[in-house]
Amino acid sequence: MALTTASRPALPVPAPAPPPARGRRKKNYASRRSEGLAGYVFLSPWLIGLMAITAFPMLLSLYLSFTNYDVLSSWEFVEWVGFDNYKKIFTLDPTFWQSVRVTLTFGLIAIPLKLAASLGVALLLNKERRGVGLFRGMFYLPSLLGGSVALALVWVAMFNREGAFNAGLSLFGIEGNNWINDPDWALSTLMVLTIWQFGAPMVIFLAGLKQVPTELYEAAQVDGASKTRQFFHITLPMLSPVIFFNLLLETINGFQGFTSAFVISNGTGGPLGSTKLYTLHIYDKAFTDFQMGYASALAWIFLAAIGLITIVFFSTGKFWVHYSDGEN
Amino acid sequence: MHPATPAPADEPTQHNGSLPAGGLNRRHLLRLLAGTAIAVPAAGLLAACGDDEPAVDPNAPVTVSFFWWGGEARAKLTEEALKLYTSKHKNVTITPTWQAFTGYYDKLATISAGGNAPDIFQLDDNGLAEYAGRNVTLDLSKYTASKKIDVSNHPESLTKYGQLGGKQVAIATGENTPAIIFDKTKLAELGVEAPQVGWTYDQIITWGAGITTKSGGKYWGLMDPSSDYKALWLWLRAQGKEFYDGPKIAFTEADLVAWFQLWVDARAKGATPPADVCHEAVTGSVATQLVVTKKAAVSFMWSNQLSEMQKATKNDLGMTAYPGDPKGQWARASTYWAASRTTKAPDVVADIINFLANDVEAGKILGVDRGLPNNLDVRKAVSDALTDQKMKDTVAFENEITPKFGPAPAPPPKGHSGLRNTLRDIAETVSYGKATPEAAAKQFFTEAASALA
Repeated sequence: MALTTASRPALPVPAPAPPPARGRRKKNYASRRSEGLAGYVFLSPWLIGLMAITAFPMLLSLYLSFTNYDVLSSWEFVEWVGFDNYKKIFTLDPTFWQSVRVTLTFGLIAIPLKLAASLGVALLLNKERRGVGLFRGMFYLPSLLGGSVALALVWVAMFNREGAFNAGLSLFGIEGNNWINDPDWALSTLMVLTIWQFGAPMVIFLAGLKQVPTELYEAAQVDGASKTRQFFHITLPMLSPVIFFNLLLETINGFQGFTSAFVISNGTGGPLGSTKLYTLHIYDKAFTDFQMGYASALAWIFLAAIGLITIVFFSTGKFWVHYSDGEN
Repeated sequence: MHPATPAPADEPTQHNGSLPAGGLNRRHLLRLLAGTAIAVPAAGLLAACGDDEPAVDPNAPVTVSFFWWGGEARAKLTEEALKLYTSKHKNVTITPTWQAFTGYYDKLATISAGGNAPDIFQLDDNGLAEYAGRNVTLDLSKYTASKKIDVSNHPESLTKYGQLGGKQVAIATGENTPAIIFDKTKLAELGVEAPQVGWTYDQIITWGAGITTKSGGKYWGLMDPSSDYKALWLWLRAQGKEFYDGPKIAFTEADLVAWFQLWVDARAKGATPPADVCHEAVTGSVATQLVVTKKAAVSFMWSNQLSEMQKATKNDLGMTAYPGDPKGQWARASTYWAASRTTKAPDVVADIINFLANDVEAGKILGVDRGLPNNLDVRKAVSDALTDQKMKDTVAFENEITPKFGPAPAPPPKGHSGLRNTLRDIAETVSYGKATPEAAAKQFFTEAASALA
């Protein structure tokens, strides 16, 4: 992923052709059109997939969000209810606000920390040392396990009252908490799990770091800039497109997290709704309460919120993201 | 079929997860298929001339899909019983599918929404009203009326527990009742007597506090059942009240405050563990129960779970009724067999359900895995043939308590599965000390109004 676009080759722009004869231009146009058609033909498996698997269900769920669809009843019972679902969500659903609170807390803490951790480790692993490949591999390993159920189960075993974490604490004479089952701590254990899986952004940061020209550091050294100064004035600005990319990706991924919260809380989002991520609320409404229309409305609000956050990122990006090719 | 289920070696056609009717080879199969292709439209034509009921040839080949939840052991028993059926009805092929309880209802909902509900599927009383109320299930009334599904030898309360809005929407797979399961070994160690049928709540709480004291405070007397709808339900019924009245809540806010307060006091006396320990067991799954994890002497369970729980611990377990007047207990359908309204072979489906409910041989295979058999003759035969000591204990307990049962209530209404989660979450705000019983009860009734609407 050549994100730092320092050496991005310019797009091959065809040299302006001399004004061709009329007939020739027509033929050109036709052949270009058939080329375009061929392109679409080659794209068609993907296009059909996009239509059938993404676009159609999405539009259907938009429609359903204005209905009382309940999964099980047949279609003739589906009634148009206008904005009722949306109104109910904002006025009559305390769990909605709870889940928004939990999701925002989770996102605002876990995502920056995850990025900081991955950047920090990437900086450490950027230097060529003996065994650096091994370390890179080891730090990447947790994210290979992904949002897996097994990992969430391991987390439960580690952080409950009899867990390995408390056993470790007891070596220092500290009596641990029942982390997973304490409403004040359950979400934190979930965040630690998310942060721990920083391998993917780390690898992207590593690639980005490799792209920073060493001349800049050499010049800075000659000028007598300290390491800290070099970091803030060279590394961070040069890396800003990569940071932007990672921030965007991790935000979207982070807000969509479901599996670990679901498994760790046994599907309850508990204790006391402290791990009730927004996605869990959608799931509950759709599959426990059979209010699929309502759940669709929840999902669309979620989509709008993530879209909004993305727009905010892009619009603030121009103030802090530096593209070295000077086009931006 | 679950990938972990080994296919029997003597049946090479087993691998695709269907139970074929005896030794079919490919040629037979092709002939059958060709036969079906002709027979099905023909049957349709014939039916068009007659009444609404299609005149189905009883020997025409039929495939029936069959879906349940449970573990390996249950799968083995169920598949064996179904195989017995197909060996007697060569024209019927049954495609069994099963999975663990987690995710079962998600999958059932998804395939039902797609119009492909399994011909026969397992439900419990949380799912019954959701599915029957939305017309997913086949009305079995005409089969029970014509005795094609013979319920004459079933306890009436059990048959009624499968009726909604005057229709027989499902047939119980067996009978169970709520029961507390306690750790005999631990009680003997501590020198404490076992709890008895008919103990009051005050008695068992004092008893539980005694256990906590004797064990030095790291082992508790009872699980805190305040978040458990069935415990609340029985507590209400023991006082002559009810949980639901049709689609509405039948108890009052004052009742719920009293219930929450009962367990606040129990915790203050030391009878129950702190909220975070109880939370580990709150989903009701056997593996996390405090009796199994050896954190408390009593768990609030179902009577048919004794054998399964015993397999999860080395300590010897016992079982008795919930505290309070045992008239609060009732003969409950542990789970049900329901049929899909869109099934192509309703008569065969009804016949299979009848076979599972009334055939002695099938009953012997199934044992008391889904509760005591409905049919009293089958129940007798099965009880006599049992070898698992804990299954025997279950039967003995059911037989002891049956004469003391109160009348069965109607199965819970639509919205129940959401509401019991609401009760769980709100009761926990009390046990974690974040809300008073009064505030929590008020909150419950606010949310219940919208859940049951």
